[in-house]
Amino acid sequence: MPNAAIRTEGLTKRYGEVVALDHLDLEVAQGEVVGYLGPNGAGKTTTIRLLLGLSQPTEGRGAIFGLDCHRQPVETHRRVAFVAGEANLWPSLTGAETLALLGRVHGHFDEVYRDELIDQFDLDPTKKVRAYSKGNHQKVILIAALMVRPDLLVLDEPTSGLDPLMEQAFRHCIGEARERGQTVFLSSHIMSEVEALCDRVGILRDGRLIEMGTLAEMRHLSALSVEATLDGPVPDLSAVPGVSAVEADGKVLRCQVRGSIDPLLKALAATGVTELLSREPSLEELFLAQYGADGHAG
Amino acid sequence: MRVDLGIRARITAPVRPGGSPASVVAALSARKAIRSGVLWGYIFGIAIASSQISYTRIYKTPTQRDALAATYGTNKAMSALFGPAPQLQTVGGFTVFKISMTLMILGAVWGLLTSTRLLRGEEDSGRWDLLLTGQATRRGATAQAIAGLGAGVVVLWVVTAIITVLSGLTSSVKIPASSSLYFALAMVATSVIFLAIGAVTSQLAATRRQAASFGAAFLGVSYALRLVADAGVGLHGLTWASPLGWVEELQPLTSSQPLALLPIVAFTAVLVAVAVHLAGARDVGESIVHDRAHSVAHLGLLSGPTGLAIRLMRATVIGWWVAIAVSALLYGVIAKSAGATISGSLEEMFSKLGATGTGADAVLGLCFLIEAFLIAFVAAGQVTSARAEESGGRVDHFLTRPLSRPSWLGGRLLVALAVLVLSGVGAGIFAWLGAATQHTGLSFTTLLEAGVNLVPPAIVVLGIGVLAFGIRPRWTSIIVYGVLGWSLLLVIVGGIGAINHWVLDTSVFHHMASAPAVHPNWEANGIMTAVGLATALVGGLAFRRRDLQGE
Repeated sequence: MPNAAIRTEGLTKRYGEVVALDHLDLEVAQGEVVGYLGPNGAGKTTTIRLLLGLSQPTEGRGAIFGLDCHRQPVETHRRVAFVAGEANLWPSLTGAETLALLGRVHGHFDEVYRDELIDQFDLDPTKKVRAYSKGNHQKVILIAALMVRPDLLVLDEPTSGLDPLMEQAFRHCIGEARERGQTVFLSSHIMSEVEALCDRVGILRDGRLIEMGTLAEMRHLSALSVEATLDGPVPDLSAVPGVSAVEADGKVLRCQVRGSIDPLLKALAATGVTELLSREPSLEELFLAQYGADGHAG
Repeated sequence: MRVDLGIRARITAPVRPGGSPASVVAALSARKAIRSGVLWGYIFGIAIASSQISYTRIYKTPTQRDALAATYGTNKAMSALFGPAPQLQTVGGFTVFKISMTLMILGAVWGLLTSTRLLRGEEDSGRWDLLLTGQATRRGATAQAIAGLGAGVVVLWVVTAIITVLSGLTSSVKIPASSSLYFALAMVATSVIFLAIGAVTSQLAATRRQAASFGAAFLGVSYALRLVADAGVGLHGLTWASPLGWVEELQPLTSSQPLALLPIVAFTAVLVAVAVHLAGARDVGESIVHDRAHSVAHLGLLSGPTGLAIRLMRATVIGWWVAIAVSALLYGVIAKSAGATISGSLEEMFSKLGATGTGADAVLGLCFLIEAFLIAFVAAGQVTSARAEESGGRVDHFLTRPLSRPSWLGGRLLVALAVLVLSGVGAGIFAWLGAATQHTGLSFTTLLEAGVNLVPPAIVVLGIGVLAFGIRPRWTSIIVYGVLGWSLLLVIVGGIGAINHWVLDTSVFHHMASAPAVHPNWEANGIMTAVGLATALVGGLAFRRRDLQGE
């Protein structure tokens, strides 16, 4: 991929002794929608601030469309729009004034599309920012980013404060962006959002990228949840390859299966099975499996 | 802290054992107010002590003291500026004359800024929402925050008083401890009043800046009323219409009149009660004075960050310009009559206080030091507002778009330089207008040059501020106001005449010729401007390479 939308090589950020991001190698192809997951403090925002040139890397480099994030921030930013989790706007400006200012600084924007977005997100642009709720602040910076139709959208927890209706509007806009061939890099806490929108997902833990792949690949690598109702008592499954977390409740068996389910089916065949339910793990379960159920890394 | 994430977040204030959420508010505001109170108490104390010591060193003999009293004790123009000076033959009387008006105004500004910062500022930032969702009521929390501010002012008084008492105990000064305590009380009285004023304006206004502006307008009116009352035009009764007048009527170190504490205490109590009442009569984040939530878009200046900076700072800068213009006009008007009595041995004494020359130009040379300080203050404000854009995360909107850091900072610096030059030119023109009404005989060019002469020290302050911003962004405000406070302190203390010139050289005002009393030193001005711009450039380069940093 000569000109990946995002490419980092050994990107590292240390604050004194603390390693906020540890040798990140990441590649996002043009036109991809990539989710970036991790609890607070895992290094998601650090990654984004390094990519945008707001922070300087301790080691390694990052590039956006082949342009060095650190050395060519202005050229890079012509093709990028960013939405932060905290809007931090100027309280005395109105929504319309803020959008005009940010659009002009970007250089060009689609006024018709801006008005469509204002309608879609149900924003009153005549109101002063001071009088907006947090959700409305977030709408302003979302519209400001979407209206310039950037080649790359970098979103850091973009829907914090949005109500479910607006969350839907957001998903719709990202869908449209994907159809137009825009690349989206979405850092989020909201698993359902990432699951619904993203082609690939990266999971970050303590500054390291510990998983990166499509949801199908990740599911393939992880355990399947199986619940079976048997004709007789649950047999001893300790020798069956790939089976773990066995719970027996009378004739009901619950367990996790990694790899092929065939050995388990063979082991159960002797007893007889009346009902068998198997379910792929949700992204949330995949995520929690990486972190332990208590999510202690957060 | 318990946080239920969802559409509605509910957050309960942390409660320490034995404390209520409201006392948490008090503790938070007390912590910040006390920190600032210690610093300013120190500045107040040093300023008072240095005035006392400088008097004992410069005016050694009764003859000299009588001459001083004969000159200033009856000079109505001087008393309009600095307050009445009844007993200039004594250290106490001189201290009141030399320093009390400056400290009263500084104290009022401190009280107003601290109070609006910790009340309206905290509310603007959304932190009050967190505190008020628990058991604390709006009225309870406001009362507690005001109590916290009260702790700050008590510390301001204690620190001022300790230094004042110690200075009073020295063998040359000899002022009883009780008189020093009373004097220190008088010097922090304006802080008390303006803390309360700030508490009320924080309820009235929609933003911290607006709250501070309302309070500043009140301070301006109070000063003007007092000025007229002391100008010897038969309106002395007006002194009772001004809070600054009440403080003056306390007459510390001369003929103490503690009864004047009554209106101060009563007025403060009423203001506090009104503030607490108003806090309960409105919603958090709302204001009593109606704030228009909707507005027609005005896009004229909004083409980029520089235009935005001009738009956002417009009101504040105009406020400063009005203050600079009015004070310069006033100095111009009084210069002739105030300078008329400077002659002979007094000329020498006057020069030791920082002015050279005779007559109106000498008086204006001294007065322009105050203007230089105001303009340097404007410079400091320009740097801290750039830092506030960064710490508030708003600069991210520009720097994640196709705009370089040098363009962003450079644009702001150009605006700042223009503001400073116009401030200096304005000071010169308005002083000339004032002087012309009295046929003082100072030419337009002389005073215009004297005005421009005020700009280089401000450029040095700007440069040091940008350097701090580039290298230690979180320290920007402390460094830039520290340099300003230190420089002012050295100007005040410089009168002692016993300070090493290396120390004096660290004051940005020390290198400025006191025009119009003497010709501006254009060489020194050129060097100061170059130093200021070079430091700003180094700061700008450092900013280009560093991480953006929040609070």
